[in-house]
Amino acid sequence: MTGSREALPDVDGSGLTLGDRAAIALTEYREGNHQALGDLVREATPLLWHTVRAQGVEHDAADDVVQSTWVALVRHAETITEPKAVLKWLLVTAKRAAWEAVRKHRDDEKRRTELPDDSPEHPMALPAKDPLPDAEVLREERDRILWTSLQKLPGRCQELLRLVSLADRPDYRHISAAIGMPMGSIGSTRGRCLAKLRTILDEQGDFSWT
Amino acid sequence: MDLTPEPNKDDEAVGDLSFDPKGMLDAEDGALLTRLAHVVEEIDPVPSDLVERSLFAITLAGLEADLMEAVYLDAPLAGVRGAAAAARADDTAPAEAKTITFTHDSLTVMISLSPAAGGKVRIDGWAAPAAGLDVELHRPGVDVVTTASDEDGRFSFDSVERGRASLVVRRTDGGGGAVSTPVIEL
Repeated sequence: MTGSREALPDVDGSGLTLGDRAAIALTEYREGNHQALGDLVREATPLLWHTVRAQGVEHDAADDVVQSTWVALVRHAETITEPKAVLKWLLVTAKRAAWEAVRKHRDDEKRRTELPDDSPEHPMALPAKDPLPDAEVLREERDRILWTSLQKLPGRCQELLRLVSLADRPDYRHISAAIGMPMGSIGSTRGRCLAKLRTILDEQGDFSWT
Repeated sequence: MDLTPEPNKDDEAVGDLSFDPKGMLDAEDGALLTRLAHVVEEIDPVPSDLVERSLFAITLAGLEADLMEAVYLDAPLAGVRGAAAAARADDTAPAEAKTITFTHDSLTVMISLSPAAGGKVRIDGWAAPAAGLDVELHRPGVDVVTTASDEDGRFSFDSVERGRASLVVRRTDGGGGAVSTPVIEL
């Protein structure tokens, strides 16, 4: 039994957050029990997916980034020094890989734009910068208004609100590292972003979110 | 909106996980965040089998093969996996051949997936630079199938069940180490 294991939350205790379960999963994986890691993959893949997509990574590339993040976790399972920070590790790893994917995609696009044989049969179509689907896919009008209102916020607010909406509050410290925002300011920034969002929403009518 | 600092009632429970208590949520904020989570999931859903492919990729991680990268070009080729629109088109038109390119350092592997009899899939592959390669086809719960490429780096699997799969490629002469593709859906 390692010292770090003793510092982990009580496995049988209630109120464990995703970050706690991630820490337990890594520790158990190191001890040869892979079950908890499988559960973690099921639970944390959505958060990783939206972290990667928030960087503007195209759909299929995002799929590969999430997969390779999980592969990287098991490859580094023995060398991650702080199991309690494994959720942060996952988010930061996914985000870095996302940046790399975006950079490569732009380089490829640039090279292709420079190709001289851009024939009329194969016109060069530059993909939209934001690969996200249109608000039209949302069934409810208030959801479409919420989504389009979110797009009007500064990019940092959009990223923060998308991710914190998916996370337990005590896990914000992991998210703060992944989006490069100091832990001490994430709560107040979230408050300011929500206030801006509500101002935009209020201009468009009276909606109830409860 | 209440921005006044309040004592963080979670402090005791979460210990060092606590954060600046400014920006406490009121009920409307909480409801808005909950709704936003719903919208995020609905507008950009996690691919349905991403969890299963990730789990299989984890089991393959023990093979010590370096992960290749899929190359996504918005190319005018029919059926390239790159564009989300093309991927959706593939769902509705499975008869269309589909080409995926993977790279790792100097090695490039291109595979073409086409329908085979009995709803199965035929895989034709080319590796560059051309070399003698051992190509392993890994699928969950099925024995590994191995084939060897010809001297031009061409290989094929004639009839493969649909589902999750990953190719692991090794040089026959043992040089360069093994590389594996991400887990894809055949």
